[in-house]
Amino acid sequence: MSNIAGKAYAMNVITPIRWTTAWLNKLIFWIALKRPSTLRGLITLSLIHYARWVIIGKNQFPHLDSSQPKEKLHYSYMLFFSNFNGSWDQYVDSFTFAIPGGLDLFWKWNIRYPKSVALTPFHHYIRYNQIETIHYYNAYPLATSNDVKSAKAVKDALIQFQCQSADDESDDNFLQRYNALLRGLQHDLGAMHPTPIVSMSAYQVERRKRWHDGSLQKEIAAQQAAQGGQNHDR
Amino acid sequence: MTQKLDLLDIQGNIIRAYGRFGYPMARYVFFNIRHSARAREFVGTVTDRVTTAVEWGEGPGQIKQPDWTVNIAFAYQGLKQLELPRASLSGFSPEFISGMKDRRDILGDDGPSSPENWDPIWAENRKNRDKDVHIFIALNARLPALLEEGYAWLTGVAKQYRDAVAILNGHRGEHGALYDYQDVKAVMENGQPTAKEHFGYTDGIGDPVFEGAPNYDLNVRGRGKQLEDGSWAPLATGEFLLGHIDEAREYPPAPEPILLSRNGTYMVYRKLHENVATFDAYLDEQGRKYPGGKELLAAKFVGRWRDNGAPLVKAPDAESKQKFDAEFAAADQAGKDKLLSDFTFDDDMSGAKCPFSSHIRRINPRASLQMVKGSKPGSMIFNKDAFDTPGALSNRRRILRRGLPYGEVKDRSRDDGNHGIVIMMLNTDINRQFEFVQQEWINYGNDFQEGSDKEILLGNHNADNKFPSKAVLQVDPNSDQAPYMLSKIPRFIETRGGEYFFVPSLTALRMIAQGVVDPT
Ligand code: HEM
Repeated sequence: MSNIAGKAYAMNVITPIRWTTAWLNKLIFWIALKRPSTLRGLITLSLIHYARWVIIGKNQFPHLDSSQPKEKLHYSYMLFFSNFNGSWDQYVDSFTFAIPGGLDLFWKWNIRYPKSVALTPFHHYIRYNQIETIHYYNAYPLATSNDVKSAKAVKDALIQFQCQSADDESDDNFLQRYNALLRGLQHDLGAMHPTPIVSMSAYQVERRKRWHDGSLQKEIAAQQAAQGGQNHDR
Repeated sequence: MTQKLDLLDIQGNIIRAYGRFGYPMARYVFFNIRHSARAREFVGTVTDRVTTAVEWGEGPGQIKQPDWTVNIAFAYQGLKQLELPRASLSGFSPEFISGMKDRRDILGDDGPSSPENWDPIWAENRKNRDKDVHIFIALNARLPALLEEGYAWLTGVAKQYRDAVAILNGHRGEHGALYDYQDVKAVMENGQPTAKEHFGYTDGIGDPVFEGAPNYDLNVRGRGKQLEDGSWAPLATGEFLLGHIDEAREYPPAPEPILLSRNGTYMVYRKLHENVATFDAYLDEQGRKYPGGKELLAAKFVGRWRDNGAPLVKAPDAESKQKFDAEFAAADQAGKDKLLSDFTFDDDMSGAKCPFSSHIRRINPRASLQMVKGSKPGSMIFNKDAFDTPGALSNRRRILRRGLPYGEVKDRSRDDGNHGIVIMMLNTDINRQFEFVQQEWINYGNDFQEGSDKEILLGNHNADNKFPSKAVLQVDPNSDQAPYMLSKIPRFIETRGGEYFFVPSLTALRMIAQGVVDPT
């Protein structure tokens, strides 16, 4: 199990809601989609890849085969599904700091929803209703969603720059265009390195995995060799 | 919603940055406990002399300003040795319980900053029971002779309790000599204490203002939290003092009973070495290439000019700086303070004045994280009303800063002298406040849409070629300039030690001393 893949975290939260109020939630979702300004706060939180809310009726859960026992559910459910960069705390806290009103609107009719402020009861609510991710694959473990967006911007700008280049272009003109290229990309040039660790527990799990596959021992030996050399230099 | 704090119950170092109140020197002494019951008596004796946050005055019934101050704090191991009940101990935050060394991977204390390279007192802490750092005592003084007086008092008390507590040796000083204490003092110029640190910057300006702190309403602009309508409000007390409501309108998690935690807080102690030669060389080298010249470049690293601390958003170039200086010279104390502190990043959303990677923007971004890309290439715009409050992403990441520089730069061409800063940061949630800033904003840049680019001054930059550090100094998107790239940034700051401490209230100190802490 891991909710983490590279710099991404997957969060699934499923919370009960009465069928009598579920339709109200659907209405709110519908309005939010029609009026994008309601989602502006969410979009400004750039650590979020996306967030999705779905109402699953009590009879809508998959029933794969006649041999699968039928479930008798009391409630409908709201599934919240999101991928983001950073830690659980950072994500949940960003939500409650920035858009507590929006959260309360979306979860308002969910059973025993405590409201997003104060923080600790909200943390507990999410924790207790979160479903751990069993399988999670990330094709670009080093990249955050900002990194991906920036990479695309850099690529597009470079191609455009290339297309506008002419063999007989004056040096001055080239420089001016080049400066404009860099200026236009000045918020897209961040480096992409394997930092930071998400939490000490996640880090320890990751180290244990590497121990079991034998790579950690090799790394430590290499590090010690390097450090031995360093101490010698002092 | 104004509330008055019980200043007689709060330790003085929480409310006052002593350096700015006429105490430009201090000595920090650390103890290991050898006998629990007698150590509680030691705490009691020290407590009688502890400096509170009460207002000083010369009048009848008022408390006179002391010549030297005493403050005390405890590491988790220390509270355990003092035999706090398990039920109270387990209420402390996990990172306080683990200690700073254990959090190295979160804090980015690697390479030259890694615990193996810390001063012996810190390297040996939490390794061997007899070397564990248990108690922290700080003496701040007005004059060197008074500091000696305070120290003589403390060593006298320690001697009286030598069966109970031992002063820990192992603070590196001049030429690697090891001391029984960490000496710190303001950088002196012509015999006068200054607000400078060893790279030449003016320090000690920004400090959060919170509800109930003395005079909080007078200097809230630029120091509290920025509101939608351009006004400022003090931060919630609970961001800095346990047992008070915080920004999330709840009591921050704290150990029980409430009498143990209320009016106390957590303190992050960090000894940070400054590589002055590396800094000067890098600044010289880049300053020759940087179009704005060396001093502007130095200002870009921090977000303030070195000489008087003028904020870049108010004085973004040499010309505006001249105007600022004239105004600054003519202003009275309150006016000067306003000029230095009362600013926002709202008119500098793209970072053309104060770069995204600069020290003060990364550490206190004010409302600037409410940002989205603008339609003009290279621009960021203020996304008004996106969040419930514009400072939503920074208001819960604030820290009170205490501490002073240590050592003296005798040879600017060498890194290995005895010089740096002992910084002490106070907050009610080490993980949410200090550690978050250190990890996500200093050693990483995604929140600023700068990928892995680190904060210029403090980042744990790598000298190797595998992951060299760089920073982008943004320019006005409407200009014809190119952003300036700082490449291969070396490590200017190295960690030399530190630990997490709990700073109890006077009530809690007395309870600890009497051994009566009981959460039942
Ligand atoms: C040797 C290391 C450091 C140096 C040389 C340094 C220097 C400075 C300088 C020159 C300023 C601007 C003056 C002012 O606003 O007071 C400043 C501000 C500040 N620094 Fe540092 N600093 C260091 C370490 C740290 C660390 C480790 C932290 C916390 C993680 C920190 C937190 C702050 C804060 C919170 C401010 C005020 C920002 C604001 O509210 O605008 N500093 N520092």
